Amino acid sequence: MNNYKLTVSHAPFWHDGDSIFKMNLNILIALLPAVIFGIIQFGAPAVGVLALSLSSAMVWEFTMNIISKDKIRIGDLDSAVIGLLFGMMLPATSPWWLVITGTFVAVVIGKIIFGGLGANPFNPALVGMAFLMLSWKTFFDFDSAYINYDFNFTALAPLAALKFQGVSGIDGLFSANGLLMGKQIGAIGSTFGLGLIIGGIYLILRGYTRWEITVSFIAGIIFAAWCFNLADPEKYAGPMIHILSGYTLLGAFFLSTENSSSPVNTIPMLLYGFFIGVMIILMRNIGAYADGTVLAILLFNLVNPLIDSIRPKALGKGIDHA
Amino acid sequence: MIKRSFFTLTKPGFSYDPIEPDLDKPESIPVPDNLILLLNEPVNHAKQSLIKKGAFVKKGEKLCLYSESTEYVISPVAGSISDIDIFLDALGNTSTYLVIKKDQNKNTDTITYNLKNDITSADKYLRTLPGAPPFKSLASKDNKINTIVITCTDTDLLETTSQYVASQFPTEIKQGAQILKKLTRVSRVCVTIPKGSKIKAGFDTMQVLETSIKYPSNLPAMILKDHLNIILPAGQTPEDVGVCFISAEAVCSLGKAYGTKTANFEKHLTIIGKNGKRHRVTASIGTSLSKIFKVFNIQINDDDRIIIGGPMHGSATYTLHHPVQPDMNTIMIQDKAVIQQISDSACINCGRCVQICPANIPVNILVRYLEADQYEDAADKYDLESCIECGLCAYVCTAKIPLFQHIKLGKHELATLKASSEELETANE
Repeated sequence: MNNYKLTVSHAPFWHDGDSIFKMNLNILIALLPAVIFGIIQFGAPAVGVLALSLSSAMVWEFTMNIISKDKIRIGDLDSAVIGLLFGMMLPATSPWWLVITGTFVAVVIGKIIFGGLGANPFNPALVGMAFLMLSWKTFFDFDSAYINYDFNFTALAPLAALKFQGVSGIDGLFSANGLLMGKQIGAIGSTFGLGLIIGGIYLILRGYTRWEITVSFIAGIIFAAWCFNLADPEKYAGPMIHILSGYTLLGAFFLSTENSSSPVNTIPMLLYGFFIGVMIILMRNIGAYADGTVLAILLFNLVNPLIDSIRPKALGKGIDHA
Repeated sequence: MIKRSFFTLTKPGFSYDPIEPDLDKPESIPVPDNLILLLNEPVNHAKQSLIKKGAFVKKGEKLCLYSESTEYVISPVAGSISDIDIFLDALGNTSTYLVIKKDQNKNTDTITYNLKNDITSADKYLRTLPGAPPFKSLASKDNKINTIVITCTDTDLLETTSQYVASQFPTEIKQGAQILKKLTRVSRVCVTIPKGSKIKAGFDTMQVLETSIKYPSNLPAMILKDHLNIILPAGQTPEDVGVCFISAEAVCSLGKAYGTKTANFEKHLTIIGKNGKRHRVTASIGTSLSKIFKVFNIQINDDDRIIIGGPMHGSATYTLHHPVQPDMNTIMIQDKAVIQQISDSACINCGRCVQICPANIPVNILVRYLEADQYEDAADKYDLESCIECGLCAYVCTAKIPLFQHIKLGKHELATLKASSEELETANE
């Protein structure tokens, strides 16, 4: 009999067929409802920002792969996800240089210099976002960004209105239904609450995001907002507007659940999500920012390795060796 | 291959395969002209070997490389030794590869052994019985074995050989268990049976442990935990805590061997072809796998994979001339089209390995240490030695990292490190 060259490898010889590409593709699909709505709402400029953001993020990664003589890894779509999420957090009127600078910070400083895929301690899209928000604050004033638009609903960014006019100032302006259906202004991909929820639930059902983080994130928001609201209903709004406006839903379903910067054990996931939720409300109600989502998630990305060390004892560890 | 389901809110669960309700009679493979034996000791050219090329061996003759060797093989046929070579296994351990040419004209009587009622005498001749009875550890003075577990359950998915043997030979197993009790003077003999199986009826004299059909509940560490209330300390073997596992087939052949005072060589196997069809086979120990494939017309092509054992923790072989071994239960053939590529991607921290690990190991952190060769830290802080080797982490890995391989290598390297540091200590003393 002939000597064949057989494939030899280590067990297991089965795999569930999943891959990083499929995971990221699913995240992109899950983002589509919110993206499409954003494009309908904000028109051609939104397409421009999203396309530029997605493509520039991939180009940055490609460039860095070439410079560092690494394998070209844009095929796994990770930088595409970063780029799309990043674009979704921008107002549709953002200038091109803002987008490109942002994706540079997100992909290169947020991801590549830490070692690339899986090694980033912070959510890359949020690193880019925080950089832009601190450097060019005025572009993130959504009310002035859409000054030339003509909407058939209250053209106010709910959180900014809440911050500067108080609970009485927004009384009756925003209904839960309206916010869910995107009747608010904000970043391209953050206004259509229903779309984000549907996309997020899709990802959870497919097993690509960990539901513990999302659920406890929303619980944290509800709990903290409810406490503030109980203490002083005149000054602090209830949980509804906090959940359905700003980056909250994007944060709950897509940003805080970014694999590399979030915990994987059950109790840490619950703590992580819950405290991000609480921190967001603290920032909104007491802090200087109208929307604290970006910084709150980054802050807890920092704490992630610490809380993720709360874990069950491994089999056969920590018992008396009699 | 079981693929990821569309909705994966919960972690995937696998069930062991129950034995088929209507059993096929096993196909008996004729003893081939050339038999291959693997002797678990490398050839040392500095020493005078007792095994010589061309020498005549009798059926049942014990073959040792050197006079002080503790490792041996038993020749399943009468014939002459036609080749001696070295054989490398997956971890780079060498053993000796003996080819025995069957001789029809010679006396085919089997050598009878002087088997006494103690474990040392069984260890002297019967270590290579079909089913590979662990007489070496039972006879060892270091272990105080107080429980013997006879496994009528298969440890890997798709495997059914142990269940088959248990259902076909319950009387032989009971006889074997009696002899085993007498030899070892261990009073507690348990038997594992898959939950809901009909095999149970035969074993009412022993303590029956009904194992769950959910993978990996038939692995030794899980049986200890679920049924014997022993948590296996990290880095120890079941023998260290006084429990010895022995396969149903080993007990069965032990019973036969004490009945006839001779060794037997007929091994039960399950062959799983490319299309997933199972063939039940009996073949002599030492039969080359290629001979078995020929009987079933299984065509092996370049880049196919031949797996000894099941899909989760078996091992792949590089040669079609791999012999049937005493501990070999299943042979699975994978077509190159279904082989999934592994990748060199880094861990993306998706946490699916952590969710599925039955031993609660933080695999996501562990693999980072293993990739950086930090084996001691991996064992101290991230539970390398707690691994029960079920392979589930690598099965679900989104990044397709060969996690199980990293862990196996880590354990191997750690053992080497420990051995060398102990050597250093004794040298210093």
